[in-house]
Amino acid sequence: MRIPGILAAALLPLTALAAKKSTGDRFNDYHSKQVSTLASIKIDDVSYGEMTKAPRDYAVAVLLTALDARFGCALCHEFQPEWELLAKSWTKGDKKGESRLVYATLDFADGKQTFQSVGKRTLSSPVLLVFQPTVGPNAKPDGAPNRFDFVTGTDKAEPIHAWISRHLPDSPHPPLVRPINYVKYAVTTTAVLGGVTFLSVAWPYLLPVIQNRNLWAAISLITILLFTSGHMFNHIRKVPYVAGDGKGGLSYFASGFQNQFGLETQIVAAMYGILAFATISLALKVPRMTDPRAQQIAVFVWGGIILGMYSFLLSVFRIKNGGYPFFLPPF
Amino acid sequence: MAAISQGTGSKFFFEGESGRNTRGLLRLIILVTIAAAAVASRLFSVIRFESIIHEFDPWFNFRATKYLVNNGFYNFWDWFDDRTWHPLGRVTGGTLYPGLMVTSGIIYHVLRLLSMPIDIRNICVLLAPAFSGLTAFATYLLTSEMTTSPSAGLLAAAFMGITPGYISRSVAGSYDNEAIAIFLLVFTFYLWIKAVKEGSIMWAGFCALFYGYMVSAWGGYVFITNLLPLHAFVLICMGRFSPRLYVSYTTWYALGTLASMQVPFVGFLPVRSSDHMAALGVFGLLQLVGFTEWVRTQLPSKQFQTLLRGLVLVVFAAAFGFLVLLTVSGTIAPWSGRFYSLWDTAYAKVHIPIIASVSEHQPTAWPAFFFDLNMLIWLFPAGVYMCFRTLKDEHVFIVIYSVLASYFAGVMVRLMLTLTPIVCVAAAMALSNILDIFLVAEQPVEGAQPQANGNPRANGPTTATEKLASAIPDTLRSTKTPVVGIYSYLSKSAMTGAFTAYLLLFVLHCTWVTSNAYSSPSVVLASRLPDGSQHIIDDYREAYYWLRQNTHQTAKVMSWWDYGYQIGGMADRPTLVDNNTWNNTHIATVGKAMSSREEVSYPIMRQHEVDYVLIVFGGLLGYSGDDINKFLWMVRIAEGIWPDEVKERDFFTARGEYRVDEEATPTMKNSLMYKMSYYNYNALFPAGQAQDRVRGAKLPAQGPELSTLEEAFTSENWIIRIYKVKDLDNLGRSHQEAGAFEKGNKRKKSGKRRGARVLRVD
Amino acid sequence: MQLRILGLLTGLLGLVSALSAQGSKLVVILEEESEKSKYSQFWSDLQDRGFQITYRSPKDTDLSLFLHGEPAYSHLLILPPKSKGLGPQLTPNLLVDFVNQGSNILLALSSEQPVPSAISGLLQELDITLPADRNSVVVDHFNYDTKSADEKHDVLLLPSPKFSKSETKNFFSVDKLIAMPHAVGQVLGNPSPLLASVLNAPSTAYTYNPKEEGELEDVFATGSQISLVSAFQARNSARFTVLGSAEAMEDKWFDASVQSPGAGKKSEKTGNKEFIRKLSAWTFMELGVLRVGEIRHYLNEGAQKGASNRTDVEKLDIDPTIYRIKNDVHYSVEVSEWSNTAWIPFTTPAGDDLQLEFSMLSPFHRLNLKPSSSNGVSTTYTAEFKLPDQHGIFNFFVEYRRPFYTNVEEKRTVTVRHFAHDEWPRSFVISGAYPWIGGIWVTIAGWVAFVALWLYSAPSQPKRDLKASSAGKR
Repeated sequence: MRIPGILAAALLPLTALAAKKSTGDRFNDYHSKQVSTLASIKIDDVSYGEMTKAPRDYAVAVLLTALDARFGCALCHEFQPEWELLAKSWTKGDKKGESRLVYATLDFADGKQTFQSVGKRTLSSPVLLVFQPTVGPNAKPDGAPNRFDFVTGTDKAEPIHAWISRHLPDSPHPPLVRPINYVKYAVTTTAVLGGVTFLSVAWPYLLPVIQNRNLWAAISLITILLFTSGHMFNHIRKVPYVAGDGKGGLSYFASGFQNQFGLETQIVAAMYGILAFATISLALKVPRMTDPRAQQIAVFVWGGIILGMYSFLLSVFRIKNGGYPFFLPPF
Repeated sequence: MAAISQGTGSKFFFEGESGRNTRGLLRLIILVTIAAAAVASRLFSVIRFESIIHEFDPWFNFRATKYLVNNGFYNFWDWFDDRTWHPLGRVTGGTLYPGLMVTSGIIYHVLRLLSMPIDIRNICVLLAPAFSGLTAFATYLLTSEMTTSPSAGLLAAAFMGITPGYISRSVAGSYDNEAIAIFLLVFTFYLWIKAVKEGSIMWAGFCALFYGYMVSAWGGYVFITNLLPLHAFVLICMGRFSPRLYVSYTTWYALGTLASMQVPFVGFLPVRSSDHMAALGVFGLLQLVGFTEWVRTQLPSKQFQTLLRGLVLVVFAAAFGFLVLLTVSGTIAPWSGRFYSLWDTAYAKVHIPIIASVSEHQPTAWPAFFFDLNMLIWLFPAGVYMCFRTLKDEHVFIVIYSVLASYFAGVMVRLMLTLTPIVCVAAAMALSNILDIFLVAEQPVEGAQPQANGNPRANGPTTATEKLASAIPDTLRSTKTPVVGIYSYLSKSAMTGAFTAYLLLFVLHCTWVTSNAYSSPSVVLASRLPDGSQHIIDDYREAYYWLRQNTHQTAKVMSWWDYGYQIGGMADRPTLVDNNTWNNTHIATVGKAMSSREEVSYPIMRQHEVDYVLIVFGGLLGYSGDDINKFLWMVRIAEGIWPDEVKERDFFTARGEYRVDEEATPTMKNSLMYKMSYYNYNALFPAGQAQDRVRGAKLPAQGPELSTLEEAFTSENWIIRIYKVKDLDNLGRSHQEAGAFEKGNKRKKSGKRRGARVLRVD
Repeated sequence: MQLRILGLLTGLLGLVSALSAQGSKLVVILEEESEKSKYSQFWSDLQDRGFQITYRSPKDTDLSLFLHGEPAYSHLLILPPKSKGLGPQLTPNLLVDFVNQGSNILLALSSEQPVPSAISGLLQELDITLPADRNSVVVDHFNYDTKSADEKHDVLLLPSPKFSKSETKNFFSVDKLIAMPHAVGQVLGNPSPLLASVLNAPSTAYTYNPKEEGELEDVFATGSQISLVSAFQARNSARFTVLGSAEAMEDKWFDASVQSPGAGKKSEKTGNKEFIRKLSAWTFMELGVLRVGEIRHYLNEGAQKGASNRTDVEKLDIDPTIYRIKNDVHYSVEVSEWSNTAWIPFTTPAGDDLQLEFSMLSPFHRLNLKPSSSNGVSTTYTAEFKLPDQHGIFNFFVEYRRPFYTNVEEKRTVTVRHFAHDEWPRSFVISGAYPWIGGIWVTIAGWVAFVALWLYSAPSQPKRDLKASSAGKR
């Protein structure tokens, strides 16, 4: 393993002729560029090949990402600033380039072939490749890059920093320094102070609103309806709002007991709400009506609504759960 | 004559002193009937299958109970279990909630005392139904505290008795902590409400007592620990601080905390962990508020009072900051993972895959809600709304409970359990309200200026509440005008009939759900044959009894943690990991052994002295809950500890699919789990026809080879496969070489000819 | 395990009949009767040592190494066959099974007959490599017998075997030269710890194939890498010895006199007889057999302290299955060694120790066992130590694997539990707890005092009322 390394080192001049630049220069260029911009280097397919060409006496960390909105890679957008922060703090911490690590970013738009080679046709999450140096003091024999897929939804720089450090064990690891966000602090403090003053001024006017029982009733009922109609499921599982059925139309109710659409839950919540409201009116409003005929009508209207809604609810539930035997007329 | 006597009789029965007794007697009979119904509707599984413990955790509880009954309480208390988590062992006595076992132990001994020797197994099987009856009664009490209509309580009890949402965890044989915990939950809340209303130390003391019992029975006690302080806090914010609140809360907190600290598993958590800090904070706040109130009564001076109030605020803020500081510095443990994952729903998925991997920790889709609480789910909001009519302290409690519980139930399926009681209570309040209005004989006089007692079941305190309601300045808009009543019999009968129909439908639904969904002991699977007759698939017990009878008493069995408790309970063999997932690393070790190549797994298994490996394989029967489907969780958990040796993406094809057929990745094909699952599988089929019925995949013609394991047992339907770990080769060869030699092909000259020759040094 | 017990039982039988610790039934595989006479001295020697020898030819159809699945003989001696193979009854797989079931094999090779491929294949399994060309011989131009092989230089004269490691016990030392005529050189695989070379070729030796003429290129092996006699001991301590030259066992070499080249060297008698005896004795379990007797461990605390040197041992509980963390325990194991005629106390060679591991996943203790007492038959090694502060399922593990000694591997599993609730010191014993205890009592006293004060200083107003009302009643 030692010997091949030395051999490659001996061969360097030849490859240098081929590349018209010796690898040492290559790294220095990249590094100086990075130090000047304090950011990862934007590359495309060509420069990618150039950068990761063996033999190289430096390591390369390439982030394959898709920032263009067309690809709709949310995670890419979430992670990009973290990535830049990582590159920045690493480069800052290692001005002289002792770690011999280059940060590069390859966007899907200008790196199609590379993505093909990595085996990603469509990109839902970025991919991080770390190329170990092939020659030099801490060279690794195999050329295959270490690969990190953001499958678990990591969008913080710390774990990535740890991962990179783990894969470059014997080179220095500049620490990750998050810049203190003064603006945020300022904004929050002013906001808090403003809020306090506003409250102290507007308190007498706010108080009745806050103490209004109907308001609270509405709030609590709405939350209850939200939760009991499976809103948290949508929130956690990130289900689609609505999906089309095969025939170009919309299917409002997802098939299957364990999944649902956003719209579906809202429909269900509405049904619950109507049923509950009808019940409330039957229980509280109707007996307070003084006119018998109006009351009669009201009773039947509300009763009918309950019946209809409930039977519709049951029929919807039969869609979700095939074997469900019970139903109510009319649906 | 007869008419008169009958009239007098009815008068005698339904009015005055004796009338109250009659009603009491009726109520009692109804309650008993409800309890009977509750118990009866939970016996499907016993009748269909047999009196057997269900699922997974119950098997551990059952084993622990047997240990308790055989070895006495103190041995149970100090129980060090050397047959689980081999070779670490588990300090079981200190890491479980003993309430359940102790309860059934006591029942067992009492029955023996009454010379009724009943097998402990039957007690364990029937404990949950028995307690469901008590739960119904507790619900009755709680509801009766909320409303004045006596029918509400009975309705609530009936609902609680038969709602699937509660039956799902309390059918006969599901011998789990929840079996008794729900009763304790409801009853503790009842006592709390009682205490707040009466402001009596006695009720608060009882409340603390049952809270202690609850703590000893279920980890869900944290729900109470945070709900009661929240109630108190909200009351204070509403300016409803009262000596009653002060007395009941302080008593409950002091005694309850002491009681809870008696459980070894809880120990000092009540003063050390964030889950319990809310209770402590509200306790402190109450002292401050009480102090200010007292001073206010003493001192007239306005300025001084404002100053005092400011002082109190400052002190409260300082105390709060101090708590935060302690938490940050780590003196107070941060939120426990399971509890924290309720708030930050993405937390578990990223940080604690074990929690995320459990199916009952998944979020709840709306059909589940409807499935579990049919029509109650829409009566529920109505009931909550009615609580706002006369918003007394206890109604505030209902509202808070409803909102919180519905959030939790939405986040985790299993927490549907905590939602169910309040749903029953609220729904019963709504329904009873309707029935009280529509189920009255006499009708109001038309046009007569309606006075407050328009409410049908006129006499009685309703008027009082109505007065109070109208007395409160801003009441609900829907209840501004006084109650008149229903005029026409037609509407009365229609509504009554309709709601009766709904109730009947509800009963049908509950029975259907219970018998179809919640009554199968996942130990024994039932399937329908083409001719409709039932066919029992009993592979689990077959395999476990094979282990029990054909392996040595101390043969260690390695399996995924789901089956640990069952192996311990049914096969009585030591296991490496089980459903009490206290040691993530150990589980990850098993995951690594399962998901690595044989050469990697074998040393791990040797080191842990594994004798047998047990896996679940549904490919032949189409049983989807098998290990290949759980495999990715093993990989993830292992990757969490060894990110460089186990990589999840190596198990996905280039197109990101999880496959087991020809296209499966090499890592997948070489993993021990894959090999064990499909070893010899294609011998069942004509050549090249091997088919996996779960994944619906056509398997490679060439089945996998095993060299370090040998097949020991495969159950009738191939659901369970057990492999024996081979000993080291006697001649010091690797197992592959030994196997090759057995097959008769000669070992190739080990590269003597080429390369630099290695010299032997003696 | 059962195999070892079987071996011991047969060994006890051996006490009366044979000198072997493992039984006396020896089967000798030789092709024709004429061969037999060549080795008469060796046979008689074996018979004197109490072996019941059966001579079979590989061609015999009724020859079988197994009887009812158990080995029919305890020892097997294979002389180099003339024909190409060993026949259907001695296939490599059967021989491996024979070894796996705990029987011993002494295999003699000779460069006169080509080595059957079956045998080389078998040796390959043991990680012993033979020259690729069937009939190559070991020659040495500096240590050969001038009398018999003056020009062929293929009769090697070797000094008594020596071992580099001082703690390796030497069972094979002889005081004369050993003659190795027409030896087949073997090369031992590097990693295998089960292999050991008994007799190495001198550094000037090399293997050479007389068939192919001309200068030799690409020699199979040279110098001390060539092992002329190699010993293999399987995990179940079954022994397999490969003797490079079968002729070394022949009578003519037992009492031949040889002379090594060079001036001043005079002819002397060979040490073959003695060497072959020792070699066969070792192979057939007459030497270097270890036996583990009683293993004991017990709580070395309180009433049980120093229980080993007490008479009422039966009253104490020996070998409990469960201990508590930080207990003091006592462990003792009896080891005896078989020397030709009887079991004698085993003492480890100088500079070597018998070690005890107390391990869960990894050793928490690794202690040298001290020989405490020894009766006529065995030595008792003991260790006393404090259990680690870690509960779990632990093993008392004694493992002793040395070349030429049978393996000792003894495991006793015990559970180490945590402190029980009543094994902690009480609060009033801990001086640090005094403030808290004091606090409790102060609180109680203060409360009582407060109540008393309250009741005492209750306003007298209602009392007067009460009196008045009572007066009113009166």
